[in-house]
Amino acid sequence: MASEYASDGAALARVLETALAASRADETEALAFASENALTRYTHNYIHENMVERNWQLSVRAVVGKRIGVAGTNRFDSGNVKLVVERATEMARLAPEDPDFPGLPSDASPCDEAPAKYDDATAHLAPEARARAVEQIVDVIRGRGLYAAGYVSTRSDCVAVANSKGVRRSFAGTDSAINIKAIGDTSSGYAEGYARRFADLSPSALAERAARKAVDSKSPQALEPGEYTVILEPPAFREFLIYLTWIGFGAQPYEQGSSFMAGKLGQKIAGDNVTFRDEFAHPLGAGIPFDFEGAPRRQVTLIDSGIAKDVVYDSYYAAKLKHANTGHALPAPNTDGPMPLNIVVPAGAKPVADLIRSVDRGVLVTRTWYIRLVDQKQTLITGMTRDGLFRIERGEVTHGLKNMRFNESILGALNRCELSRELVRSESHVLPAAKIEGFHFTSGTEFG
Amino acid sequence: MQFEAEALRALDIATARGAQYADVRFGIVRGEHIEVRNGNVAGLSDASSSGFSVRALVNGAWGFASSASLESAEIDRVAAQAASIARASGSVSRHRIEIAPAGKFIDTYKTPVAKDPATVPAGERVAHLLAADKEIRAAKGVTVSRAWMDLWRTTKSYASTEGSRVEQELVQSGCALSALAVGEGDVQDRQYPGTAGLYQSGGYEVIESAKLLENARRTGEEAVALLTAEQCPSGEMDIVLSGDQMSLQIHESIGHALELDRVLGWEANFSGLSFATLDKIGAFRYGSPIVTVVCDMTCPKALATHGYDDEGTRATSVDLIRNGILVGYMAGRDTAAAAGVRCAGVVRAEYWGRLPMIRIGNVNLLPGSASFDELLDGIKQGVYMESNRSWSIDDKRLNFQFGCQIGYEIKNGRKGRLRKNPTYAGMTPAFWASCDAIGDASQWVAWGTPNCGKGEPLQTARSCQGASPARFRNVKVGVGYGK
Repeated sequence: MASEYASDGAALARVLETALAASRADETEALAFASENALTRYTHNYIHENMVERNWQLSVRAVVGKRIGVAGTNRFDSGNVKLVVERATEMARLAPEDPDFPGLPSDASPCDEAPAKYDDATAHLAPEARARAVEQIVDVIRGRGLYAAGYVSTRSDCVAVANSKGVRRSFAGTDSAINIKAIGDTSSGYAEGYARRFADLSPSALAERAARKAVDSKSPQALEPGEYTVILEPPAFREFLIYLTWIGFGAQPYEQGSSFMAGKLGQKIAGDNVTFRDEFAHPLGAGIPFDFEGAPRRQVTLIDSGIAKDVVYDSYYAAKLKHANTGHALPAPNTDGPMPLNIVVPAGAKPVADLIRSVDRGVLVTRTWYIRLVDQKQTLITGMTRDGLFRIERGEVTHGLKNMRFNESILGALNRCELSRELVRSESHVLPAAKIEGFHFTSGTEFG
Repeated sequence: MQFEAEALRALDIATARGAQYADVRFGIVRGEHIEVRNGNVAGLSDASSSGFSVRALVNGAWGFASSASLESAEIDRVAAQAASIARASGSVSRHRIEIAPAGKFIDTYKTPVAKDPATVPAGERVAHLLAADKEIRAAKGVTVSRAWMDLWRTTKSYASTEGSRVEQELVQSGCALSALAVGEGDVQDRQYPGTAGLYQSGGYEVIESAKLLENARRTGEEAVALLTAEQCPSGEMDIVLSGDQMSLQIHESIGHALELDRVLGWEANFSGLSFATLDKIGAFRYGSPIVTVVCDMTCPKALATHGYDDEGTRATSVDLIRNGILVGYMAGRDTAAAAGVRCAGVVRAEYWGRLPMIRIGNVNLLPGSASFDELLDGIKQGVYMESNRSWSIDDKRLNFQFGCQIGYEIKNGRKGRLRKNPTYAGMTPAFWASCDAIGDASQWVAWGTPNCGKGEPLQTARSCQGASPARFRNVKVGVGYGK
């Protein structure tokens, strides 16, 4: 049984039925996750960490009137499942009533399918195969006089949710990733790849890309702080999307007024060429078709051609703010409210090479690091560049630069941007590269 | 020892599969979380998880496997899998990982607890938070009030092929308040106590010592007042940082920089490297002569205190910076062997299923001799900053920029008007070299950080940075807004 949970929704569903049958609460929700997660990590051209974890967890949300309690366990025998149901019910009885709680969702309508979600070969990839991928990476990077650090990972996950109002959902999927940093004496370069099927990733091609960046940025020069036109490659641009997601695309910050979307729906907040949507079913993506209370995940346009369009909802905020549930609940107890997890930024018209050619005096940013919010309402962030910062002069990438700190308003940047034609997946998001005018670098470092 | 028979079988299997060293950890973790928000209970949960892991060193390469199932067949499978993963690791390079000796210990450790959280009815805990939450909103203008507490209990059993058998029960508790005020085009928030709350080793006495109710209204009032406060000035000036902001400053610019796995490049692709390279030990001036920092895993109340780490090293204290000079690192058994330094007893995993790695322990800045008023003395024009709001530092731990929740002007040695959005920036060694006064022991607090992230797959860990307030000269202030 232990080996089945991460790939077989039916095995998890049986645990959920045991929980629901044991409950005496007014309403009950059972949510279970299972995963088999393997990750091989390397540095200095050898493997220094190599692990596989098999784990699962059941979480029960019990509702008594409008009181809610949550309890969890990873012991799936019926005795422990019943105990955790009782504990959740006991917890619910301790809480005061939440007058806004609308009850658990009852929408059992069919969900849209996620494309190409499960690959048996990825789920069962042997450690020897991950080691061979590392070997291919190391061969390329060592051949350039550099050393490699990064990881090769594969995983299979299953999530299932059921409630006493008839909702029954389960989903099994695989995922894989390769992450490479090529390191030289004075510079480094980065490449990443993500795919549901490990066979779709090319360790050698990614290694070539990381190595080329490290070689091309060696002996980096200093850049004077100031305003520059930048090209943010997808791993760098991704961090900007993630911050917008955290601070403003959910119904909770929208309701409390702290979101940049509050009071702005229907108004222009970004350039005409900027559209953001949450779309779990994008062919390049890795989303799941329902949220963690079993509601179908709907496609939501967040920014449409620069106009603030909508935020995402779960059942609680949908009822409270009288909006349709978009299916973006996080697992209970969730004190952050609903959140988009699969942002898609539609592509622009020009290839990234043309965007670079259009820059007279600028900077190419491969990757960013340690971005933090400085001012929520102004969407002002600070962060660092890393692993491949380059000077662009008269349309050509000319040489490497020492890393820089930036302070920038995300929405301000989205009002001065142009997007590339190529779309890639970066973590759970799908996006192009972005050219941004007037980007603020505020200080530098002594290393590339 | 609990699970001793299962542990011995796992070690035997790993050894039979070629491991020259193996260890096994069984664990049970339980976390209770209560969070109230604007008078409602937003989260009330009690979750536990248990399982085990096996780590094997075969031909100088590591393998690690874990499972939530404690069935006999699964224990056998996981032990064999750890060894086979280690063999795969060794196939890529002839590099051999060695481990420093840890000693053989048969021992138990329990966190000293004055008031067992289990003796405090859950209803009483909820009522305590609801009362504090209501008091925050007594301050007119608060948009969102929140109060929360966490009670964690971890039971671990560790056994190794070297003969160690260690059982531990760790109890950690913490709580916090938060007030959010939304104004016209502005959002301000205040938290108490400190940046992330008060998180320490211990029982319910930690929650009681935080005095949430007594400080709730002030926390709300400060958030509201910040909306109409003047912007913090920009420029080069002297600053005084509160103890909790010092905690974050130590965490980011000393703690992470002195994790030996970073120094050796084992975190290069993600968390990054460190400027504090091995050639600097014993000679590099990290800070002014009054800066002395130790990693003390035996520190009473501190959040990372334990009896042994997750690879069997007994808790100890290691000097990191002595009178401003870099003198040590936080090392694990493999990195200690590689660098020829001593183990710090800080290797920990988030839970039983994850690979143990070097984590910031209790990295404490020893107190100085200045009262709070003396810290302000001699500052003609400066800013006092309290409680972190944003923190960013480069991947070698040099170039940093931090923002605080609240600031006060300092004029002619006295704390003056409220200032909002204070930020400051610097380079690590120059900043610590500018430290010319540290608060005395009466102001020193073992500030815990409950959610430090590191590693792949990402693991969170609990660290402590004990600190008093301190003064720094000629610091760049207001960078985030001044651009």
